[in-house]
Amino acid sequence: MPLLRVRDLVKTYQVGDVAVRALRGVTVDVAAGEFVAVVGPSGSGKSTFMHILGCLDRPTSGEYRLEDRDVSRLSDDELSAIRNRQIGFVFQGFNLLARTSAAENVELPLLYGPDRVSAAERRRRALAALDAVGLADRATHHPNQLSGGQQQRVAIARALLNNPSILFADEPTGNLDSRTSVEVMEIFQRLKNERGITIVLITHEQQVAEYGSRIIAFKDGQIVSDQANQRQRLAVGELALLPTG
Amino acid sequence: MSLGSSLRIALRALARNKLQTALTTIGMTIGVATVLTMIALGTGAEAAIEQQVRAAGMNLIVVTAGNYKTKTEDDGGGVVDHQAQLAPRLLAPRPQSLAPHLVLAAFHPEDDPMQKHDHPTARQRLGDTEAGLGAAATLTPADAEAIRGLRGVQFVSEGIHENVHAAAGNARWFTRLHGGDVELPSIRRSWTFTSGRFFTAREQSRRARVVVLGAFVAQKLFGDANAVGRTVQLWKQPFEVVGVVASGSWMVGASAGDDQFDAVYVPFTTIHELLNLSKLTDITITAASTGDVTRVSRDVTALLRERHHIGMKDPDDFTVATQARQSLARGGLRPDVARAVVGNVGGLEKVTLEQLGRTLDRATRTMTALLGAIAAVSLLVGGIGIMNIMLLSVTERTREIGIRRAVGARAGDVLRQFLVEAIALSVFGGLAGIALGAAASGAIAQMLRWSTSLSPASIALSFAVAAAVGVFFGYYPARQASRLDPIDSLRYE
Repeated sequence: MPLLRVRDLVKTYQVGDVAVRALRGVTVDVAAGEFVAVVGPSGSGKSTFMHILGCLDRPTSGEYRLEDRDVSRLSDDELSAIRNRQIGFVFQGFNLLARTSAAENVELPLLYGPDRVSAAERRRRALAALDAVGLADRATHHPNQLSGGQQQRVAIARALLNNPSILFADEPTGNLDSRTSVEVMEIFQRLKNERGITIVLITHEQQVAEYGSRIIAFKDGQIVSDQANQRQRLAVGELALLPTG
Repeated sequence: MSLGSSLRIALRALARNKLQTALTTIGMTIGVATVLTMIALGTGAEAAIEQQVRAAGMNLIVVTAGNYKTKTEDDGGGVVDHQAQLAPRLLAPRPQSLAPHLVLAAFHPEDDPMQKHDHPTARQRLGDTEAGLGAAATLTPADAEAIRGLRGVQFVSEGIHENVHAAAGNARWFTRLHGGDVELPSIRRSWTFTSGRFFTAREQSRRARVVVLGAFVAQKLFGDANAVGRTVQLWKQPFEVVGVVASGSWMVGASAGDDQFDAVYVPFTTIHELLNLSKLTDITITAASTGDVTRVSRDVTALLRERHHIGMKDPDDFTVATQARQSLARGGLRPDVARAVVGNVGGLEKVTLEQLGRTLDRATRTMTALLGAIAAVSLLVGGIGIMNIMLLSVTERTREIGIRRAVGARAGDVLRQFLVEAIALSVFGGLAGIALGAAASGAIAQMLRWSTSLSPASIALSFAVAAAVGVFFGYYPARQASRLDPIDSLRYE
């Protein structure tokens, strides 16, 4: 039973009079614990693919089962609940709330969870999540007081707060320098190895994709190649070689 | 998401842009302040008019002994008002055998020709008309006591009136003497006691020689000195001055010849004893409710006819008059209210209290409608201001909406967040408006001498109006926010 089961997924946008076919029949399975890198040039449909897998969008046709549940026809509220509990997002632009502290950004998913969590408990869990990404001492900082790498780590802490089974990362290193990029990849690989979290990484850079255990290449809304990565880069080792600072 | 979290997020969002928040709430503030002032003025106006009406004696009924206006059947069988055609004439006294009180009065001690009196006898004062025996002497203290028992009657004062020389030392002043009841100050609502007090029930029952001076008399007899405790001679009898009464109305001052303050007041019991009298000139009654005057005067008429054993076809031996018209003419009402009444009612003669009440009611409603229109426009403008700023806020925070949606916020959560924010904005304006409205009502009460009343209910209503405006004008922007596509919102720059 694959974690993600996608069959003949089609997504067509209507832009004015023109129908843009972003996905033209995508079929793929992703097993739990995989680190899948999705590569492709811009406009290849990889972002649309991620949005549908991340329950932010619904396919025009085709089937998408998440943990054996057909989510392609769920209501908006049900999709919200899945995003809240089973899915974490990391974006290129970090997408943190401005003028809001790191800890408050991290505890955001708890506000929309099914259980009423007390403010103290929210704060405790947010601090624990920040600690896991090495930012316990930055809890009260606002995003504009943090570096890009730190902001991305806050975003990761937020994504992980509800212990999701899948993490979707959309160009997470796009706004970062090489060293912090490697740091973020190190966190992803550690999450996969230590917690068994499934990671779907969207990128247009082949080098970044090589941190994944499996690489899926997109072109013109279709998968052109899908194979296990024999030469997976290991961020831990690279980090040790990189000069600090 | 819990309501507490929604509120916290909303307050934080509003706190981020305090100036914008403050400016947005101004419209609401003015609107709510107007609503509150409107209610305060409206209820205050009712109370004020009621009070004015009472102060002016609109609830006053005066029963005068005798009947100078009699109706007789003419040849055609119709009832004709002879006053218009004939010279006024006294009604002939009723046969004594049928009126026990008149039989008693026949043995009045003053009538003993051998008796020496230290005061002018009724015969001397009234000439050929026998005091207590004429047509003008049919009312007794027992009648007044019976009237006190009627439903809707508030205060009753027996009245007996004489002209008198008041003397203190070398100062003398010829003035009116009113024998009255202790309830008289409750009837004359515009009275204030510049010093001392009115006579008490105890003094009245003991027929004490006490006198209350009208301010004008006090001035004539004692100048600016305090009259209370001094002695005044009435019919060469010493009376202790217990109080000085003046007009409490800023429009009516004491002047020579006026009936209230160029006058002295003595318990009617004292006058009865001193002058050997047992009858009353008149009985003054107030109705508890202004609208009840007509009914009470009817009941008084029926009661007195029964007590005086007047047959079905016989005319009254007394006259019942209400004071509405006289009061209007005298100017006891506020000039603007009187003007409104006179201007709105054709033929002042026909003014009834019901008409008067309706006219005043109409004037109040006109003002309330005007304020209501201002309030409605302010609330509308304030509400649109809130809607505008919320729409702007939704656009500005599109990305925030996207982020919240990505981490699991449902459309309903977003809707609630923005709705709570709009309501908070509106309620802030409302609270400021309540403060402003309270201040405005107070200021109006001060400046216009127009009493206003701020009830907890009206404050609660203003608050509810503010919240309702927030819901009404906040819903559209909030719905817009909740309908944003998560992906588009996340990409929004």
